[in-house]
Amino acid sequence: MPRPEDKTILVVDDEPNVRDYLKMILVDAGFEVVTAGDGEEALERIRERRPDFISLDLIMPRKSGHKLLFELKRDRDLSRIPVLIVTAHANDEMGQKDLEEIMDSAVMSGPGTYLEKPVNPESYVRAISRAVDVEPSAQKTPRTDLKEQLEHSIEGASPDALREALAALRKAKSKGRQ
Amino acid sequence: MNAPAWPVSRAQDLLEEMPSGVMVMDRGFHIVDHNRAFVDVYGPNVGRPCYQVYKDRGTPCPDCPAQQTFDDGRPRVLEETGLDRNGQTIHYLARVVPLRDEAGEITHVAAITTDLTATKRLQREYQTLFEKVPCYVAVLNRDRRVIKANEMFRRTFGEPRGDFCYKLFKGRRTECEDCPADKTFQDGRSHTSRHVGQARDGTETHYVVSTAPLLQGDGETTHVVEMALDITELTSLEAKLHQAHIFRQALVENALEAIVVIDESQRVLLMNKAAEKLWGADRETLIGQKAPRAMVPATLRRQRASTGATVLLPDTTITNLAGESIPVQLAGMTIFNEGSYLGGAIIALDLRAMKDLEREKLTAERLAAVGQTVAGLAHGIKNVLMGLEGGMYAFQSGMSKGDDERMLQGWQMLEENINRITTFVKEFLEFARGRTPTVRLVDPNKVAANVVDLFKDKAEMAGIRLAFEPQAEVPPAFMDEEGIHACLVNLVSNALDACETSDKPDPVVTVRTHDHGGSLVLEVADTGTGIDYEIRKKVFTTFFSTKGSGKGTGLGLLTTRKIVQQHGGKVAFESTAGSGSVFRLEFPHDRLPRPRETEGEVADESTGDEDATA
Repeated sequence: MPRPEDKTILVVDDEPNVRDYLKMILVDAGFEVVTAGDGEEALERIRERRPDFISLDLIMPRKSGHKLLFELKRDRDLSRIPVLIVTAHANDEMGQKDLEEIMDSAVMSGPGTYLEKPVNPESYVRAISRAVDVEPSAQKTPRTDLKEQLEHSIEGASPDALREALAALRKAKSKGRQ
Repeated sequence: MNAPAWPVSRAQDLLEEMPSGVMVMDRGFHIVDHNRAFVDVYGPNVGRPCYQVYKDRGTPCPDCPAQQTFDDGRPRVLEETGLDRNGQTIHYLARVVPLRDEAGEITHVAAITTDLTATKRLQREYQTLFEKVPCYVAVLNRDRRVIKANEMFRRTFGEPRGDFCYKLFKGRRTECEDCPADKTFQDGRSHTSRHVGQARDGTETHYVVSTAPLLQGDGETTHVVEMALDITELTSLEAKLHQAHIFRQALVENALEAIVVIDESQRVLLMNKAAEKLWGADRETLIGQKAPRAMVPATLRRQRASTGATVLLPDTTITNLAGESIPVQLAGMTIFNEGSYLGGAIIALDLRAMKDLEREKLTAERLAAVGQTVAGLAHGIKNVLMGLEGGMYAFQSGMSKGDDERMLQGWQMLEENINRITTFVKEFLEFARGRTPTVRLVDPNKVAANVVDLFKDKAEMAGIRLAFEPQAEVPPAFMDEEGIHACLVNLVSNALDACETSDKPDPVVTVRTHDHGGSLVLEVADTGTGIDYEIRKKVFTTFFSTKGSGKGTGLGLLTTRKIVQQHGGKVAFESTAGSGSVFRLEFPHDRLPRPRETEGEVADESTGDEDATA
């Protein structure tokens, strides 16, 4: 089985913070990492050196991820590079349509799925390792349990429940005053 | 008892003075005597043969009437054509009479001639008139048979051939009930009536008929002449006019606009249903009365003698007779006919329903914007959350590895994202703030100039040319100056960023103002990166920023749109990836807000004496 060090991952994201974060996670998992700030730059990196995997943001200036994917599709070899989409806009009007189009038209090879920001470092590494067929390095990533819980809570929060909670807080506050 | 003898000499004098030419000739046709009237026409001709005198012939005429009278001794009358003393053709009536001697033998004949030339000419003229007059002329006898008809009659109704008048005109078998010829036969006077007939090709023919008696010597009417004037075309025009009138009446009556027409002394001539409703007045009581002052715009009151004037107030308010204030679109016009003043029309369209709709639309637009904002909130947080998480990861992993550099990087990421969330919350609160705009009459060029000034240094430092192209005659508009300023700041800032992101040489950002088609337009154009098609669809969506590098929160355009919407306007843009963008703020003047305290003044325009000219 190949080692992570043999695999080059291209991380494409216009947010420097996100780019650095994802790179850090992958470097810690033992991968070779190249980064690009938009679709245009990504194309340059790919031409310089064919990566084994692409982690792709969708909405970027100059050239979007959506556009880049369709350009890669035209090249027989490049279209085989597995891609994982990492987006903050999977479920809103900004990204949903593009994402659906990408999923439906099967332009993407690889896991054929996407991760929604903010990503969980462990599932991110796991998805990529599986796609490039390597054993993820045993190195333990720092836990962010509390944040994960918070995340789940935000996703699952219903406006009604929030309103109830707010009402309860107000009640408690006014009681406290009395 | 016996009458005194009549002296022959006087009889000779009388013969000499007779208006008819008299001449006497012998059996050899030689003229032996003639009177003065004969000389007047033919000249002195005693001794010359008659055929030479009358017809300039060398031998007697083949069927000489004088010879016949010599032969049978009977007088005869004949119409002849000959030559006068000047060689001109003349028509004459000749009566040839035998003259006998004591023994009863015919020794001479006398010819008494009357010049018919003038009469003949007249007859020809009347014949031409009869034939060519552009109406149907027919002569009827007492049986109502047409014995003579002119050309036009024959052309339309066919040859008479002794047919009955009613048969020819109408294809009837019996006399018409209101026969004007009948009346003329009875009373000998002219009668006129209108009839519908049928031409021989079957088409309906309308005509007005006049009859006149043709009198015999004894005063009895033996014939009637009928003259019929064709009014078929006129009748069909009349019918069309009538139809058009009915259509127009229906249109006016059922128009959505309130229409009031006044005459030259401002009395109400016409008022439709909508006008009754809008003006809150009963038209039965108003029509014929002087129009109430509130109803007539000043222009119409003043415009009596001058040329046509119209006034159009697309958005004004009237006070109707019931005292209600109603927003309307008002048009007033004077009506002239060939230079003479006939009156005026006031046309008003009730805008209440439309205004309500527009208000609803604005509210809906605003609600949609708020909805998008709320939806975008979670995603904005996600980006920052990811940044914070990344910082945390870097800091923690750096700490456990003893990697100081990584710890520092993590710390910076944390700091940066905390800053971002601060700006973010601030801008969001700014966006969400229910600030009441202060609407004043503002010079749009001045606002734009201030914004250009504000960015002058920044643009220069970035090597971008910032151009300002105001249109000189942009009129002042009712706006929230601070809001419009903020919009332009956003657009110019975006445009500068777009230029900085692009690597094209000589970047330019241009701020323009212009006013046309009833809208004020403020636009900012750049020669920067332009917006990709996919991103173009999303430019207004909250928290969407493609500026990268932690710039921008994605709220700028949304805030801009909110402010523009508050002014009843819209944000439009054109963009081509790689060659730049133009963002355009369009404000239709009639949707701009009105300052509360001056609303009354503005509304008075329609009835005020100063401002009602277009």
